[in-house]
Amino acid sequence: MLIGISLISFFIMHLAPGDITTTEAGFNPKASEESRQKLRELYHLDKPIIVQYGLWLERMSKLDFGNSFSSHQRPVFWQTTDENNNTKLGMIQEALPITLLINVMSMALIILIALPLGIISALTQNKLPDRSITLFVFIGFAIPGFWLALMLMYWTGVVHHWLPISGLHSMGSQNLSSFMQIMDTLKHLILPVFISAITGLAGISLFVRNGMLEVLNQDYITTAKAKGLAHNTVIYRHALRNALLPLITIFGLSIPGLIGGSVISESIFAIPGMGKLFFDAVLMRDFPVIMGILTIGSALTLIGNLLADLAYAWADPRVRKGVVR
Amino acid sequence: MNPILRNPLALIGFIIISVIALLAIFAPLIAPYDPNAIDVKAILLAPTSEHWMGTDALGRDIWSRMLFGARISLLVGIVAVGIATSIGIFLGALAGYYRGWVDTVMMRIVDIMLSIPTFFLILAVIAFLTPSIWNIMIVIGFTSWMGVTRLVRAEFLSLRNREFVLASQTLGAKDMRLIFLHLLPNSLTPIIVSSVLGVASAVLVESGLSFLGLGVQAPQASWGNILNDGKEYIQFAWWLSLFPGLAILITVLGYNLLGEGLRDALDPRNQ
Repeated sequence: MLIGISLISFFIMHLAPGDITTTEAGFNPKASEESRQKLRELYHLDKPIIVQYGLWLERMSKLDFGNSFSSHQRPVFWQTTDENNNTKLGMIQEALPITLLINVMSMALIILIALPLGIISALTQNKLPDRSITLFVFIGFAIPGFWLALMLMYWTGVVHHWLPISGLHSMGSQNLSSFMQIMDTLKHLILPVFISAITGLAGISLFVRNGMLEVLNQDYITTAKAKGLAHNTVIYRHALRNALLPLITIFGLSIPGLIGGSVISESIFAIPGMGKLFFDAVLMRDFPVIMGILTIGSALTLIGNLLADLAYAWADPRVRKGVVR
Repeated sequence: MNPILRNPLALIGFIIISVIALLAIFAPLIAPYDPNAIDVKAILLAPTSEHWMGTDALGRDIWSRMLFGARISLLVGIVAVGIATSIGIFLGALAGYYRGWVDTVMMRIVDIMLSIPTFFLILAVIAFLTPSIWNIMIVIGFTSWMGVTRLVRAEFLSLRNREFVLASQTLGAKDMRLIFLHLLPNSLTPIIVSSVLGVASAVLVESGLSFLGLGVQAPQASWGNILNDGKEYIQFAWWLSLFPGLAILITVLGYNLLGEGLRDALDPRNQ
């Protein structure tokens, strides 16, 4: 899998007309011939393409994505220490935790809202609550996240000054106590987290609804009801647990979407995460950063899917027993 | 009876899309102004009877620009989905028909493509090409075929050993005849549904790209780049941001309603 991803990333780099150091490829025309030469050496552009790929793969296996063009030669992935013992933090190293934090928070928010919505929807199938939730789901699917972000920014930030609208810290927040600093950052995160949650919300609540409906029609639910179990016991102990199982997989699958979606929300709210870093890199044609994020982002997706599989096995005794055998 | 008329969701979606398509097709006739005409005497006007949706910072009429933007959305959506669906049918048919190692290789490629965050992939490709409407259609098309491939493969796998296919094969039908005359027509329903839903997401992606300034380039109007222009003036010209967003919302809603409605209407279990 990783090899395939590396192949695609490598292929994309060669989509550019000419070689990537020429101005046709959008390379900064002011770049000196020397830095171009450096770049050519870095990617071994003078060698045959197969050799280039092999060398690139070798560097990647050491997680060495090179240094950024535009940000004073900062390392793309992880910190490096030079001979004078100056440590330069990696760009992805700094940006990744922020994006992960936002996505984890928005996933939590999604579960918190989508679960009850989906359950209510399933229990009142085709009645008014279900109808209105379904309408909400359709709008949630269709609403462009960046537009909603813009509107909310305007409404809460510009008109009412309720929430800060960009960045992660207020001006002068360094002087606050550490508790206040955390509160300040959280306040900055409200809108971005909300925006990235709202787009995922619709899908998940629809999924919970359909899962519940399917499970509620199963024979064992009829049995449980026939046994005379309390309504709530049937719903929450017997039905819900089974309906939620596939959700684990869905969350695993939604990781690339969430990471990709961070590009737009982070650039609107000026949050220095992976998405913003990637967007800026695209604008600056900062190839090492683009390739680095593409690879790391895909690796994250693979890790996410693996975790989802493991979680599924842990949650579903049928799978777990199967694995042991 | 026509499945679209039978299902209220599909019908609403169909009406929305038809209206938008008509507006887009007849944009040059309907638009009261030239969408790119700059009028320095009419800068940032709020909506009035003369300019229904106001004007932008260059004095261009937003309603006219919205109409022409609808053309872009329609075009990008349909061409991108056309590309994605063709690739998907081709690869899915190969995988589902020949099975074995062909299938394994195809599904591996699909898995790999699916594990790269799509929006990153699109942006990366755009970074190496110049942003233009054609490049965007191609890039969206080439990064969204995975779902159709899986779908077609699954359909083919389940149809492959049905009696009518085996009978035809026994009679000596060639591979191509089996694929195009027997298997493909019987898998059309899910393909149509996923194409309609695909247009919705292509419209969203295009507007997102244009909003970031990496999509359709000025002066050509697209809903995304009207929004992008508008965000600078959001404090005193709300109409620049409101209308394009609503247009995207309604269009995407229309395609989603039609797609979901068709899925219900064409599902034999619901009949």
